Amino acid sequence: MSHFLDRLKYFKKVESTYSGGHGIVTSEDRQWEDTYRNRWRHDKVVRSTHGVNCTGGCSWKIYVKNGLVAYEMQQTDYPRTRDDMPNHEPRGCQRGASFSWYLYSPHRIKYPLVRGRMVDLYRKEKASGKDPVAAWEAIQSDPEKRKKYTAVRGLGGFVRADWEEMTEIIAAANIYTIKKWGPDRIYGFSPIPAMSMISYAAGSRYLSLIGGACGSFYDWYCDLPAASPQVWGEQTDVPEAADWYNSKYLIVCGANLPMTRTPDAHFAIESRYNGTKVVSMAPDYAEYVKFADLWMPVKQGTDSAAFMAMGHVALKEFHINKQDPYFTEYTRKYTDLPMQIMLEKNGDRYVSGRFLRASDFDKNMGETNNPEWKTVVYDAKSNAFVVPNGSVGFRWGEEGKWNLLEKSGADQSEIEAELSCVDSKDEVVAVDFPHFTPDESDTLTRNIPVRKLKLASGEEELVCSVFDLQVAQYGIDRGLGDNLATSYDDENVPYTPAWAEKVTGVKRADLERTGREFAQNASDTKGKSMVIMGAAINHWYHNDMGYRSIMNLLHICGCVGQSGGGWAHYVGQEKLRPQAGWAPIAFGLDWNRPPRHMNSTTYWYFHTDQWRYEKVDADDVLGSTAKAKYRGHQIGDYNVVSQRLGWLPSAPHFNKNPLDIVKEAEAAGATDEAGVSKYLVDQLKSGDTAFAIEDIDAEENFPRNLFVWRANLLGCSAKGHEYFLKHLVGAQNGVMQEGVAGKDSKEIKWREEAPVGKLDLMVDINFRLNSTGAYSDIILPTATWYEKADLNTTDMHPFVHPLGKAVDPAFESKSDWQIFQAIAKKFSELSEEHLGTQKDLVSLPMQHDTPMALAQPFGEVKDWKKGECDLIPGKTAPLFKVVERDFPNTYKKFTSVGPLMNKLGNNIKGIDWNTDLEIEQLCKLNGVITDEGISKGRPQLVEDVAVCDTVLQMAPETNGEVAHKSWSALSKKTGVDHSHLYEGRHEEKIRYHDIVAQPRKIITAPTWSGIESEEVSYNAGYTNIHEHIPFRTLTGRASFYLDHEWMRDFGEGLCCYRPPQDLGAHKNLPKELAGKLKGKKTLTLNWITPHSKWGIHSSYQDNLRMLTLFRGGPYFWLNEDEAKSIGIKDNDWVEAVNANGATVARVVISQRVPEGMAIMYHAQEKNVNVPGSNTTGKRGGILNSVTKVIMKPTNMIGGYAQLSYSFNYYGTVGSQRDEHVIVHKIEDADVNWLEGDLTPQREAQLNPPGINN
Amino acid sequence: MSLHDLVFGAYPYLAGAIFLLGSWIRFDREQYTWKADSSQLLSNKNMRLASNLFHVGILGIFFGHAGGMLLPHSWFLAMGISDVGHQYIAIYAGGIFGVMCLIGAAMLVYRRVTNVRVKAVSRNRDTFVIAWLLATVALGLSTLLVSTGHAAHGDVSEMIALTEYVKSIATLSVDPSLLKDVSPIFKTHMFFGMTVFLIFPFTRLVHVWSVPVTYLTRAYQIVRVKRIRMN
Repeated sequence: MSHFLDRLKYFKKVESTYSGGHGIVTSEDRQWEDTYRNRWRHDKVVRSTHGVNCTGGCSWKIYVKNGLVAYEMQQTDYPRTRDDMPNHEPRGCQRGASFSWYLYSPHRIKYPLVRGRMVDLYRKEKASGKDPVAAWEAIQSDPEKRKKYTAVRGLGGFVRADWEEMTEIIAAANIYTIKKWGPDRIYGFSPIPAMSMISYAAGSRYLSLIGGACGSFYDWYCDLPAASPQVWGEQTDVPEAADWYNSKYLIVCGANLPMTRTPDAHFAIESRYNGTKVVSMAPDYAEYVKFADLWMPVKQGTDSAAFMAMGHVALKEFHINKQDPYFTEYTRKYTDLPMQIMLEKNGDRYVSGRFLRASDFDKNMGETNNPEWKTVVYDAKSNAFVVPNGSVGFRWGEEGKWNLLEKSGADQSEIEAELSCVDSKDEVVAVDFPHFTPDESDTLTRNIPVRKLKLASGEEELVCSVFDLQVAQYGIDRGLGDNLATSYDDENVPYTPAWAEKVTGVKRADLERTGREFAQNASDTKGKSMVIMGAAINHWYHNDMGYRSIMNLLHICGCVGQSGGGWAHYVGQEKLRPQAGWAPIAFGLDWNRPPRHMNSTTYWYFHTDQWRYEKVDADDVLGSTAKAKYRGHQIGDYNVVSQRLGWLPSAPHFNKNPLDIVKEAEAAGATDEAGVSKYLVDQLKSGDTAFAIEDIDAEENFPRNLFVWRANLLGCSAKGHEYFLKHLVGAQNGVMQEGVAGKDSKEIKWREEAPVGKLDLMVDINFRLNSTGAYSDIILPTATWYEKADLNTTDMHPFVHPLGKAVDPAFESKSDWQIFQAIAKKFSELSEEHLGTQKDLVSLPMQHDTPMALAQPFGEVKDWKKGECDLIPGKTAPLFKVVERDFPNTYKKFTSVGPLMNKLGNNIKGIDWNTDLEIEQLCKLNGVITDEGISKGRPQLVEDVAVCDTVLQMAPETNGEVAHKSWSALSKKTGVDHSHLYEGRHEEKIRYHDIVAQPRKIITAPTWSGIESEEVSYNAGYTNIHEHIPFRTLTGRASFYLDHEWMRDFGEGLCCYRPPQDLGAHKNLPKELAGKLKGKKTLTLNWITPHSKWGIHSSYQDNLRMLTLFRGGPYFWLNEDEAKSIGIKDNDWVEAVNANGATVARVVISQRVPEGMAIMYHAQEKNVNVPGSNTTGKRGGILNSVTKVIMKPTNMIGGYAQLSYSFNYYGTVGSQRDEHVIVHKIEDADVNWLEGDLTPQREAQLNPPGINN
Repeated sequence: MSLHDLVFGAYPYLAGAIFLLGSWIRFDREQYTWKADSSQLLSNKNMRLASNLFHVGILGIFFGHAGGMLLPHSWFLAMGISDVGHQYIAIYAGGIFGVMCLIGAAMLVYRRVTNVRVKAVSRNRDTFVIAWLLATVALGLSTLLVSTGHAAHGDVSEMIALTEYVKSIATLSVDPSLLKDVSPIFKTHMFFGMTVFLIFPFTRLVHVWSVPVTYLTRAYQIVRVKRIRMN
């Protein structure tokens, strides 16, 4: 009753004693304990997860107390895995456990914010009687007014605003841009839909409806392994984490499992209890090294040399010295090793040419459909060349033969493809292979066994198998007289372990043993050898070589598609499982097709004018045997060619407003799409209309409006950050050189004065004020991951997760779906008067997984502009599609499922099906729109949960009926019955409220190459091997050889070792920079930017808890001895600088880091504890302030089977890891925090002093 | 009732009652406010000196006052301490502890109003209570001017009057008239001193109650029995 009175029981205080009086028993009051109990008491628990692309996809309990999120905890109610397998839970790491801090943190954006100077201008114009669009026009057409706000981007100056006015400005800006420049001048950037797919879809749906371009991210982040589409025709498909446990031999290379795959790392560790050997490859003593049996400290950027050496061992011991039966059967059936290659004469020797095709033979070997796209093997049964089933030619235009059964396409007789003709060769000839290792010959000459063959044309050709080429290229001696390596210790023959030791620094014995064990294990277990790989090897310029060297090893050993085997690539690769249900909503395919997509790497390379500064000469990247029709072209020029030939997409498309192009065409008499297309073809041929990229710095080709949501474009992924600031944003920047290299461009018009501040309006939608927001004009507050309904999936496990609304969006924030709805509504109102209904022209590149991928046969490059062929849209150039834009109905379209889902149905990966039933069911499930207008009677998409259910309803992964329809469609193509894969779950439908109750395992869908089953774990390529579904490649098999002309020109027909590319930013320093560094002690180091535990793309290192624990702001790591050599001590201020810019941080000195590199973890921003750089005179930068993006021409190839563009699927990737920086110490006294007022002088000085253009 | 009677007749009981009841109520109702509210974690600068001076000083003063005023007169005589001797002890001991307390309190006041971190967490009552104690001890020291004069002349009447008055409060037979001839400086000091008791339950001073002397005799282990309450 009373604490005080209770204490007065003096004589009864001790009830008894024990331990000889050392302990006493009392009945003291214990109510005080309730305080601690109350700390964990709560009002409700809501399931949610974190929409961040760590790929964790962990289920969390969000505890709500007094209307606020109090804390979160791991959910542990996952459906269990099968017997003898560890379970998935507990999932969730420290990142997730600390997220609730953000909801009420100082970083939280509480209200709409707007750049004060901009809104003043706008209000003034409106006060003078102008309507919103006219007001915006008045600002944009006056360069002085415009500059007033664009030049102070990044310098603060935000004021609180309201939703009404902000949506009005955004809508007005969009409308003005559409009218004046064209809808393709509006761009949206948002990454990784899988992490919160409805939020992604919100922005992309709005943009797609108004004709804006959605930018890719996977390729831009350089997380897309270009090798995957090259080798398998597959964007990325990887095993679930649980399958690591099934492996018996793991090589982990460049993926820091405990750090970046925290909730899944246990599977790798547990596999060791299972007898699995784990080998780690990392240049530094990374966390994952600790639980490996062997550490191979490989020099950064040389991984492919190490894997080639292991491939050498495996190939020699299991294919040459003996023929392992499993390996032989696997490579024969599932790889292109038996495919026949034509050799081309090159002086007195030969080089490898293109694949032999059915069309090369008399009467096309009986193939009437696509004979140019059917590759040929030599059949050991009939001793004749035959066309086997499964090549891409069988995929389109006929049915039932697109499969990997060992059958002849002509008569479906059983065949057995021969791997090598070494025992029945007609001749042995010398073949040249390009070679790139420094200080070695640029050409390797090898003797190859060949057959002679008379083609239909009458010419005699020499042909050989990919296998024979590949064995020779690996440097394995077969007694053919070219004296290759007979011993692993022969260090003069490339790709022997001894040679690799020279290149990689890894001991030859380790490479030899690992190669042998990896193969032996695969032989013993039928493919249960696995390589887990990641960003650290994928972010290099020649990342496709690094990855292909691993894929080669895996294919040699028959591992791909086997549970516990294959590749496991984990870099921002989150799997958008219900993709087929999501895409129509996300890109407005239910109302208009096609959408406008753009590959961001190309986009930013040009629009941030990084092409003007390019120091890498494309000619230097060519192989020694190149024919190189485009010799002398710059890297950027290749991209111009690529767009022109219909390979890569473009945005903006042309130097004219696409709405005007249609108007002009119609004025000239065009009545339909074909007419408009014809008109444009003539315009392009005559040069009256040109691709925008040909004069990229002309004002009509600028991007004008940029939306960034769910992303941190500038503060994180902007490779070439300072170029973004300088040219795109027009802000204070640290670019330390003049851009002059672009002057020599062959394809792009050079303008002496580089553009500054291309964007009229930059909008950031976020819950957190990051570096991107700091440079934006408008910031809109969005709901956090605990404040909205959304969906989340990952490839680390097979479950679908909800993001749940634990509390209402705090302050004035709204969910992304509601934000874009609000913008769409305003846009619709204002466009009534300004836009009306118009026709838009979309320029579409040749798409992967469509018949357009058969556009340009034989991999020959024919350029219509050079007169090598006619300009035929969709064949030799992009396809031109006319899309009607009913602008005033944008809101109605946004909020309902459109009629094209009934008219055209749905499709994924080239499989089509009807969706009438699903739409009918959606009408009942979600209700229909009752307002008059075009959306009346259509299923509603007003509420977030309804959108989630729409996605789930239309996807085969979450709707058994759709799985049935899509698999049935695929069975028709393959001629194989796949129904057993989904049969047991045909009736199942997974709804939003189901996944709120418990994570649900998805249904096997033809979208993916693995299966959900109670027998095996999900593994990539499983259905290719076990269901005989061809890989989506030219040959239908996994590729060792790529025969496209550019692939061969750049020396990458076969995989080879390519050393890191010299990017030149740290050499021949510009005079301004050299002056600043004069007299300073410096180190020149490779700039390594791995994923950090606490900051990945859109996750954050500025969490107060982490800042308190470690250094309080950005830092980078140096080797102990190297740091000492220039007098740097731990925690000193240091600067990393090169011609691209500078970044200032604290330094961490560690023995963990090898010499020659500096490690700065990803996504450390400049919003906390970043002083000015004395070199640039500007704020000290981010990790990407010293990088510049660089593109690879081979990634621009299109219109050629698997080498065809698709969004985030193929295209240029934004590599940055080959970069070098100069590091020096900054004395504490010299640290300048730049806290002075914004003076007119400072405002005018956008560039570092001395830099002009 | 005259002001004199009010202050020295009623006020001691008012202050005493609030002191006792207030402490009780706070102890029962606001257990989590029952603490010293130390700000030493925020700033430790000079605290070794300031805090120790203050605490040693004020404890010395407290026990000096209690012993000197409340022990029966006869006990001192029995110990062979004459009244003049008693007074000298009070003057020297009070002077030494008083000066210690004064310096400590002054440093703490200074710290509380100038140190930004401490200032940021200070509530009005925190600043008030240390300032009040400083004023009280300053007044107490200034009484030495009077009492040293008395002692030099062997005049112990005022000291006897004061001790008798304090005893009269303690025995619930307060007699304000005992203070009729006492110097105003003593009366002011006494008013300040009694007010310390008045404000005591509303401030961090409550930590005084919880001085952990029982730790000296505490068992090594204590098991607190869990009783299920059916409320």
